[in-house]
Amino acid sequence: MYRYDEFDAAFVNERVAQFSDQVRRRISGELTEDQFRPLRLMNGLYLQLHAYMLRVAVPYGTLNSRQMRMLAHIARKYDRGYGHFTTRQNIQYNWPKLRDVPAILADLASVEMHAIQTSGNCIRNVTTDQFAGAAADEIIDPRPVAEIIRQWSSLHPEFTFLPRKFKIAITGAPNDRAAVKFHDIGLMAQTNGSGEIGWAVYVGGGLGRTPMIAKLINGFVPHEHLLAYLESILRVYNRYGRRDNKYKARIKILVHEEGLENIKGQVEEEFAHIRGGVLTLPQEELDRINTYFAQPAYKDIGVVDIDIEREKIIDSAYGRFLENNTFPHARQGYTSVTISLKPIGGAPGDATADQMDVVADLAEKYSFDELRVSHEQNLVLPHVALTDLRAVYDALVEAELADANAGEITDMITCPGLDYCALANARSIPIAQDISQRFASPERQKEIGKLKIKISGCINACGHHHVGHIGILGVEKKGTELYQITVGGDGSEDAAVGKILGPGFVAEDVPDAIEKLVDAYIEKRESADETFIAAYRRLGDAPFKEALYGNG
Amino acid sequence: MAMASPIVSAEPKHDKLRQLGIIALNGMFDEMDAEGVLRQAVDDLLPGDIAMVSSFGADSAVLLHLVSQVDPNLPVYFLETGKHFAETLDYVQTLKSRLGLANVIALHPDSADLKRFDPDGVLWETDPDSCCHIRKTEPLEKVLAGFGGWVTGRKRFQTAERGVLPHFELTSDDRIKVNPLAYFSNEDIEAYKARYDLPDHPLYQEGYKSIGCAPCTSAVADGEDPRAGRWRGLNKQECGIHFDFNGSIAKPVSQSQLTLFKDGEFKADPWRSWAEGDEASSVRYTHVPVSVFIEHREAFLASPHPIGLQVDPGEKVEEVADDLSRFSSVAINFPAFGDGRGYSSARLLRERYGYEGELRAIGDVLTDQIPFMRRCGINAFVVTNIATRKAIEADALAEVRLYYQPVGASREVPVGTRPFLRRNANYT
Repeated sequence: MYRYDEFDAAFVNERVAQFSDQVRRRISGELTEDQFRPLRLMNGLYLQLHAYMLRVAVPYGTLNSRQMRMLAHIARKYDRGYGHFTTRQNIQYNWPKLRDVPAILADLASVEMHAIQTSGNCIRNVTTDQFAGAAADEIIDPRPVAEIIRQWSSLHPEFTFLPRKFKIAITGAPNDRAAVKFHDIGLMAQTNGSGEIGWAVYVGGGLGRTPMIAKLINGFVPHEHLLAYLESILRVYNRYGRRDNKYKARIKILVHEEGLENIKGQVEEEFAHIRGGVLTLPQEELDRINTYFAQPAYKDIGVVDIDIEREKIIDSAYGRFLENNTFPHARQGYTSVTISLKPIGGAPGDATADQMDVVADLAEKYSFDELRVSHEQNLVLPHVALTDLRAVYDALVEAELADANAGEITDMITCPGLDYCALANARSIPIAQDISQRFASPERQKEIGKLKIKISGCINACGHHHVGHIGILGVEKKGTELYQITVGGDGSEDAAVGKILGPGFVAEDVPDAIEKLVDAYIEKRESADETFIAAYRRLGDAPFKEALYGNG
Repeated sequence: MAMASPIVSAEPKHDKLRQLGIIALNGMFDEMDAEGVLRQAVDDLLPGDIAMVSSFGADSAVLLHLVSQVDPNLPVYFLETGKHFAETLDYVQTLKSRLGLANVIALHPDSADLKRFDPDGVLWETDPDSCCHIRKTEPLEKVLAGFGGWVTGRKRFQTAERGVLPHFELTSDDRIKVNPLAYFSNEDIEAYKARYDLPDHPLYQEGYKSIGCAPCTSAVADGEDPRAGRWRGLNKQECGIHFDFNGSIAKPVSQSQLTLFKDGEFKADPWRSWAEGDEASSVRYTHVPVSVFIEHREAFLASPHPIGLQVDPGEKVEEVADDLSRFSSVAINFPAFGDGRGYSSARLLRERYGYEGELRAIGDVLTDQIPFMRRCGINAFVVTNIATRKAIEADALAEVRLYYQPVGASREVPVGTRPFLRRNANYT
């Protein structure tokens, strides 16, 4: 993975020193909250419902064991012993004290981490496939390009005061696990006619109160021109994106209002000017960054036969883990292991300091010191030898991290909701916990199969409810929390926004409603191989609407 | 720059008797003619302790003629600013020989000051107050202390501010200023010149009624105040070397009120914003909005005066790209801290359209933005926020001086091992 050299270290250290001074001035009263606000936001520090919240960037979701141990250390020393992994592959601490923040940032800097641009109207942390560099279906490892984008976008002088935040996601695989079409810019690796690999560029996707699927603006941009192309899009957005209404300020609204062809024309005109200029990426630079992401020293393990059906009989929990929590690896004899942060009844995405330490140890011992954070709020050991799988599993069981529900109904994305967030209208973690209890039985989850539930506590949609196969949105109506249920959303390459089927439900009735949808699906599906989303696409709204609201 | 010339309190404390003396002198010599006033001063009041400063300008001949009549050996200081019209320098020689002036002394600006503050010789354009200061005020201050009194050629009719000018004035440091021509009208001057057949300044017939340094002097129209051609378009009447009516030295705007930060210091700002009622053909040192410029493009292009451009958010610099060489200054407006459109405008001006003149940020300019603005090619800042002012003066901006991404706008040099993406701001 990428390692800082002197320059990167100096860059982050300067930033820590700068922010430490700003915090000191805030504490001494020299700065008012109004003056301090834009400064702290540029360093990922939010003022939440109960306390400050610090959001630490995990660039494209990649960590090593040393970094994970530092995250554990910070949770233990400065917070309440846990951290919350987010849908943007970052980690949030919910209880830091302002006076400790400079020390936290200095600790982070010591392991090559920071909180720069995790908030504010700038280019945010670039996200990618959690299996990047490991997945069998990958055309190219997207992380070197993600790192180059990270560097290009860090404290960019022209794009630090954009109309609104700006999120870029990149995937090197045709099966999109990074929801790139729901980002301001989505990049998908593409092979052109002459066999060269480049990037299909999608623009104007997003969730929030106006969900939009990104549109293809350029089918193939070669590596060397990618930064110039991104800068062209950003410049058009910076100049012409709406600034009169914060809810209409994302690039998706610009693309929607101006029309794709119009925006494309402006971007291409800009690109014609700057193409071939200072942003042209030399092959040597790409090669240099590529070396940081070189394949680990895999051992020649050969074919390892794991008979899952047999394992299921011998140890059903392990069998289920094998079935759900492993992902095909590009290298024979290896697999990527998902560590679920969705224990039944737990807060999705939370990990304790002790768990982080265990995961760090496992990464060091069994995964070439590599770890990933997924946008589905789980952790990943990307390169585990099949021969080590049982040992890894046993260690996870020990640490209470062996939930074998990856991809199943209880593997929900959930925002922090009203329990933590100042923006939320409704609680979301308790809703997730109730659903999780309702479907706790492994047999029941197995019967249901792959089903993504996503829960947001307000219209800002941090829980991605629009792209949940079943989405749940908390709203507040006349002082009561109500939950709207959507069906048919999809964050993958078959991107779709879920539809609201009818009136909302009070919190207590949500698990029943979900159960009705699930039962309707099981009843109508052609076979156990037809997933919920596939069945929905075939059947349409009607049977689900009927399940929820009857035949009225 | 050494702005350390005498700071004068608003109400100077004078020696009471001297003050009464001045009142008496003015009473006694109110009716006296110019030559009488001068003779009184030179022979009786301040023998050997008085000198004069002459600009050798449009109407200097009259007073110099008077001096030659009273005392051709009176020291006559001439501020050789280095910015005079060639005609003025010729005129110095003409008058010296015609009038037999035996003691004309040229005062030159300090060469170290020039090198430091005006290496390109264009300070007059960006900061005329400072230009006057180093080329006139400072050289003159060096000789001021040597004399108890000064002869000036100022006249009541010249400008509104001088309307009540007396023959004798007391300065704040108890020196005496003698104004023999105080009561002269324009007609008196013309009559005097005709009577003694005094040569005109070569530019006088071309409409120059008050002549200073070449860059800051323009012709005036018939009926216009004769000094209207000095620093035309600027809110500036005096160069700082004259004394105001109370006897204080008229200083440029005080340093703390200056808001333009450029080339490492706060300095006087010659520029103003376009205002209702302005005429395209006559404004100068004015930032003209893009839309106004486009509407009156022909008139602006035809005008000989320095003008600037104001770019508001949402305005397209593309639309004036062909005319950028017309602007001596471009002001990018940042009406709110969070409105980042101006960064794109700045980079386009610098990188795409090759604009090389002053590029200034105006509006809500705060410490955190300035480093980004600089990287986008902005090289001047109009700063009103006090904390930002302090930070910029102390060079303590909220800044990370290491850059990952190349921009083409500033002279950044690569550092470290990565020539592609990295720049370091410490070059300056």
